[in-house]
Amino acid sequence: MTTKEIGVELETQFGESVLEVSSPHPGRMYVTIDPGSVAEVAAYLQDGLGCRFVINAGTDRRRERGKFLVTHFFAKDEDHIYLALHAEVAEDAPHIASITNAVPGANWAEREIRDMIGVVPDGHPDPRRLVLSDDWPEDLYPLRWDVEHGIKPPLAECAVPRKPPPEGTSVVPLGPYFPTLEEPAYFRLFVEGESVVGADYRGFYNHRGIEKLGCSVLTYNQIPFIAERICGICGTVHSTSYCQTVEAAAGIDVPERAEYIRTILLELERLESHLLWLGIAGHVVGFETVLMQVWRMREPLMWLCERLTGNRKTYGMNIVGGVRRDIAPDLYDDISRVISDIEGEWQALYDALPGDSTLMGRLKGTGILTREVAEKYCAVGPTARGSGVAIDVRVDHPYAAYDRVEVKKCVYDGCDNLSRTLVRLDETLDSISIIRQALADIPDGAILAEIDEDIPGGRQAMSAVEAPRGEVFHWLLTGGENRPERWRVRAPTYANLQVVPPMLEGTDLADAPLGIASFDPCFSCTDRMEVLDVDSGQIRVCSGDELSHKMETTERS
Amino acid sequence: MILSKLKEALICIMAGRATLPYPFKPHDPAADFRGYPEVDVDKCIGCGACAAVCPARLIKIEDKDQTTRHITRLLERCVFCGRCADVCPEDAITMTGQFQLTSDQVRQDLVHECDIFMATCKRCGHCYEPATPLDRIMSPGFRHDQIDRGGDRCRHTHVRADQAEAEAVGTADGEDS
Repeated sequence: MTTKEIGVELETQFGESVLEVSSPHPGRMYVTIDPGSVAEVAAYLQDGLGCRFVINAGTDRRRERGKFLVTHFFAKDEDHIYLALHAEVAEDAPHIASITNAVPGANWAEREIRDMIGVVPDGHPDPRRLVLSDDWPEDLYPLRWDVEHGIKPPLAECAVPRKPPPEGTSVVPLGPYFPTLEEPAYFRLFVEGESVVGADYRGFYNHRGIEKLGCSVLTYNQIPFIAERICGICGTVHSTSYCQTVEAAAGIDVPERAEYIRTILLELERLESHLLWLGIAGHVVGFETVLMQVWRMREPLMWLCERLTGNRKTYGMNIVGGVRRDIAPDLYDDISRVISDIEGEWQALYDALPGDSTLMGRLKGTGILTREVAEKYCAVGPTARGSGVAIDVRVDHPYAAYDRVEVKKCVYDGCDNLSRTLVRLDETLDSISIIRQALADIPDGAILAEIDEDIPGGRQAMSAVEAPRGEVFHWLLTGGENRPERWRVRAPTYANLQVVPPMLEGTDLADAPLGIASFDPCFSCTDRMEVLDVDSGQIRVCSGDELSHKMETTERS
Repeated sequence: MILSKLKEALICIMAGRATLPYPFKPHDPAADFRGYPEVDVDKCIGCGACAAVCPARLIKIEDKDQTTRHITRLLERCVFCGRCADVCPEDAITMTGQFQLTSDQVRQDLVHECDIFMATCKRCGHCYEPATPLDRIMSPGFRHDQIDRGGDRCRHTHVRADQAEAEAVGTADGEDS
């Protein structure tokens, strides 16, 4: 189906409720509807047209239009389309019908809009607070324009009620400091004997205020560096995805050489991430040799990236319009040598591991995620591909130079931990192939577009990138004064974590940590907003005024 | 199973020792590593481009009076992106290879402050830093580049100043030119 055909379908089905349809870029469409029909339209997009829910966003447009904007984002992967469903609600009646009953993947997203913007999803099955901490006051919505980004409100008592365990079960807490991944995440497992019958998740302990910074004090070219730090391992994917939204919104043509450089960096990052994950998976099951050896074979890749970009991670290569550093031709051999060495080591590992029956026993048949559940909750990345869901942004919605290289979708049907492991192992090998293709075809030329004008306001763009963990999705609404009005980030783990409670049902307690780890969860990516305390000595983003106060006290002391 | 374990053991034996002796022996980073941003204060003209682009917004500019600009950098917040070095028009900032920056006296070790004397070239209007204290005391005139020019030529208008002088000699009688 084309965007035009989808527009016609929607207008046929919903007539007057469809207020506006536009398609400013290929593969992108924006549909504004009457908020009263949002639940029906969302259900139709998913069940009638086969779209996949991605995320939603709440934007405070009271200054411009006296309304709050609620946008639900969908993907129609086989037709290479992203669709934004806009609905405006009046500022004195900030409510909208929940779509979660029809679209289970929207569960967290709707709770987040309520926390951040204050638009209540009527009829939501579980309207508990999601992202704000237990001591953040009610009725203070951080993403509203009149809430200062550096605000430090008085402490409140708003503890999120925990789901009680079902009759006859007890609670085994995994967290709030997750034991093997060593990140804050709180899975409350309801167990009957050794069997897990359900789970409840409380996260967002590392909320950092990144979207708030993006729509209040940062300029277009400061954001790539903050975006890169949303995650410790998926840096370039976020900065690339963000830069792509600005480039699309402003009509900036990225030079071809820059697109190839971005592709090479994105695949180097995938290698770094998958090899890291393989080590962690070994660590989680207690197989430390795998951890040590895989991280040893990964290390030359880190040094290579240091030579290419100036750092092992957080490459800092992307700004709006292209990349900051070139890859000198004499580095091509360096890159080829490192990836060839990794290929050799990978082969040795792939040879040795399948015969290891202890390891296989932990991986095979455990952590079952059926295809049905994966699709119902809109899982992405290797988590989905390990359950037969064949989606991959590099092929479905190509970006950078991915339309000019051959990419293999690595899909397995096993639905278990082993399946997801094999997906990542295959992708590691395919990344090496993509890097080789890119090095062979990379054209000469500029690496950065010349940008002479301010970025115009009132434009919007969506962009997605296939991170090692799945689809990263960014949406940008440009504003006045050469700054963004709204920047929305959806990392893959946000979608995948919602699959964990149904996935854990019926598994053995001992398999729970590996099941969770097999999704390669990145809690940093998921928890993107936070306000920490400066007085306790922890780092926090200060407003200009606070900085000057800090300066005076420094001078005095 | 035994075969698998033998293969795994072989991988380990072939790898040998992979650990570097750091920190007992130094380990230099790659050539273009982005470490501590060093500021050559003598080159700084106080334009503020670095402050405008810093993603961590750690560079604070305060004008103490008409000719003194105070620049403070809270480098504990630095993310070493190198944008300040990229945009500095005077190449006053270098991303060094220094990465050993932990300190238990962050306010002493990782705060950089400097005072920049602000003057603008009367000919082209660009900011410049007069070379000597004497120049600063005297009315700021022209920006210098080379000391052998007598310290009163602005780099941007270097050629034009010469031509202007030559032309000025020609119109010394007050003829309209």
